[in-house]
Amino acid sequence: MSTEAIPAEKRKRNYNALFGLTLLGLLLLMWIVLAVATPSFASALNITNLLRQGSLIAILAVGQTFVIITGGIDLSVGAIVGFTTVIVALLINAGWPIWAAVLITLLVGVAIGLFHGFGIVRMGLPPFIITLATMTSLRGIGLLMTNGNSISINSDPFQAFSRGSLLGIPYLFWMVILVAIPSYVFLHHTRWGRYLFSVGSNAEAARLSGVNVPRTIYMAYVLSGLCAAFVGVLLASRIGIGNPTQGDTYELQAIASSVIGGTSLFGAIGSVHGPLIGSFILSTINNGANLLNVNTFWQRVITGALIIVIVYFDGLRRRGGK
Amino acid sequence: MTSTAQQTHPGPDLAPGGTILELRGLEKKYPGTHALKPVDLAFRAGEIHAIVGENGAGKSTLIKLLTGVMPRTSGEVIWEGKPTALATPHEAMALGINAVHQEVVLCRHLTVAANMFLGEESSRFGLLQQRAMIREAQKIIDGLGFDLPAHVVLGDLTIGQQQLIAAARATVRGTKFLIFDEPTAYLTRKEADQLFKLIRRLKGEGVTIIYISHRMEEVFELADRVSVLRDGTLVGTRDIAETSEPELVKLMINRSIEQIYHKEHFTPGAAIVETRALTGKGFENVSLSVRAGEIVGLYGLIGAGRSEFVTALYGRHRKSAGQIFWQGKEVEVNSEHDAIRLGMALAPESRRDQGLCLNLPVGLNLNLPIYKRISSNLLISGAREKTEADRQIADLRIKTPTRNALASSLSGGNQQKIVIGKWLAHGAKLFIFDEPTVGVDVGTKAEIYRLFSTLLSNGAGIILISSYLPEVYELADTLHVFRRGKLVATHGFRTASHEDILSQALAEKQEKTGGQT
Repeated sequence: MSTEAIPAEKRKRNYNALFGLTLLGLLLLMWIVLAVATPSFASALNITNLLRQGSLIAILAVGQTFVIITGGIDLSVGAIVGFTTVIVALLINAGWPIWAAVLITLLVGVAIGLFHGFGIVRMGLPPFIITLATMTSLRGIGLLMTNGNSISINSDPFQAFSRGSLLGIPYLFWMVILVAIPSYVFLHHTRWGRYLFSVGSNAEAARLSGVNVPRTIYMAYVLSGLCAAFVGVLLASRIGIGNPTQGDTYELQAIASSVIGGTSLFGAIGSVHGPLIGSFILSTINNGANLLNVNTFWQRVITGALIIVIVYFDGLRRRGGK
Repeated sequence: MTSTAQQTHPGPDLAPGGTILELRGLEKKYPGTHALKPVDLAFRAGEIHAIVGENGAGKSTLIKLLTGVMPRTSGEVIWEGKPTALATPHEAMALGINAVHQEVVLCRHLTVAANMFLGEESSRFGLLQQRAMIREAQKIIDGLGFDLPAHVVLGDLTIGQQQLIAAARATVRGTKFLIFDEPTAYLTRKEADQLFKLIRRLKGEGVTIIYISHRMEEVFELADRVSVLRDGTLVGTRDIAETSEPELVKLMINRSIEQIYHKEHFTPGAAIVETRALTGKGFENVSLSVRAGEIVGLYGLIGAGRSEFVTALYGRHRKSAGQIFWQGKEVEVNSEHDAIRLGMALAPESRRDQGLCLNLPVGLNLNLPIYKRISSNLLISGAREKTEADRQIADLRIKTPTRNALASSLSGGNQQKIVIGKWLAHGAKLFIFDEPTVGVDVGTKAEIYRLFSTLLSNGAGIILISSYLPEVYELADTLHVFRRGKLVATHGFRTASHEDILSQALAEKQEKTGGQT
């Protein structure tokens, strides 16, 4: 968003900022409560752990948001994560240099995104269907490739990356920033970002205005696939194995994070900071529930309830804001 | 039932019926606006009473009060001599007041018959009598003279046919007072004729009809009396025989008709676009050219091939034969992208479906075609994005609080200005306007026509498609008439009579062809 002092614009900007701040406030409040209520939450170990946990979903949520803004959905991101852990593990074990293995893995993510674009634009399939199909078949292909076994990655530097940190902040969280800043610029300060919104709002009007709608749709799914493959690499580094069943339900967590962060599933409404905060809210619930010895089954219930509450209030805000 | 005695008056002249519904000082205030100032008006039983006025003149408010959708602020409503509260839609329906809305509000996935009996299904032992309902519905439809099947799914019919079903539906419920709100906005001429037949027939049966329309020709064709609203005030009621279109327009907008059809003549320049024997789906062998500074009007019935022709010209559908020349050079236009790059701009017919991103800001909508230009390298220039949008809003006099207001929050006329205005900054050479003033009030129409002149003076050419003859007649420098996919006649500015043009568009009979280009 831009920064100019015209009153009405300011008011609207403040509104969005306010929602962002409300979420951020909620996140901070949860942290303060947990810091007071549990002895271990505020420890450096736990905080870095929390940041590592949240980082993966945060990156997925940003990719997912591009797709949701166009009015689509990408159910395959969890499966892409699992599949790409296998790819990167196989490549590294085959003796490829790490940079080449990572690059190829990312290209696999891009290819899967292109396939989704192809299915939607060329075959006319609904996004839900094409990504659902990829979701199940990618896991199947991964299992076929590995015979159902996990592949241990025999590269210490690769695994060391996920444990390392810079300025006391884990590398994994730096990766979130690495993804978020270009994403923010892309979404709000380039014409392709505007095109994503316009396609989500009214694809026909966008088309008649000269927007290349098919290319915009390809772009959204490629970005989502790319983010997912990147998370696959990071996850493989973190757990040291390639396993196609990894990343189970990540797609739902990514969608939930995006929606908690104010993205509209009807398209044309969304941001980058929202999903980021949303994903850390979800991670904090999990982390806090563990520390408080809450039955892990309850975590799921709490997450569900939170989605309803936040999206309900967001809807109220939007209606009231007009 | 005081009105039954007068129900049998046939004929087109004034039904001398008693008063069926009388409004005394009917008034509606919303927070901040006085939507309807006290109105005194008596509707006669069995008359067709047209109500005209600009958008925002209070027509919708009046309908909402009459159908009980909203409560009135003050005033009295006398139905058949008795004061009535008329506070809920249910109450209005119980009295026999019904409305047919501009947009079809029926269930597209159900059958015609199911729609006609929605909420009043006949059933036996809890099971629907589907066959019986289809038979009954078919009987009603046939009785009305519509050639439509009752067993098909409503969504399979055209919008116009659906509108006829909606009208038929309103007639089967003991209706005594029926309101039509712009019913012909989406109808073809043939469908409109069927609807008019239905309306006259209802009148013959003693039903009182309120007919709301922007189309003056229809008002004069149908109505017995006409009331004019302006700024929430009833400025006059006239017998149709004693008024004229100029008088009504003047009442509506306080301006004369010449001031609406703002027409400036420019010396035509070089040809911007020329088609030679262009053929495609829905049209064949169309050769015409558009020069800088001229408006080329395409008149014809809906489905005559005009929209198909321009969408092929715009690269949305492939042409199957023929050539397109752009500024003298032959070009291939294979996509909207190609067309826009050449310098064409299309303002489509349906602004909600094709023209606007409703839940995005006005500014984004206005800038959508020019983001490439206002981006330096990769990034959008925030300052230029703002100045471009603000300039458009000022130039076009778009009534919006800011460029960041959502397009959906604007009135129809102002939305239409966005649809047209977003091409101005783009600097297109050829503008294609497909029914640019459908559902737009007279004041906004005048502004849109003025905009045409601005475009022409900047050296652009315009293709104007309209099903409203006076519009193309008063504005087009060259007028082409389409019928069944063919260009059947060509006229200069006001060189043929309305009747000739109409018969060329309609009939198989005498085919008078003007000077072909």
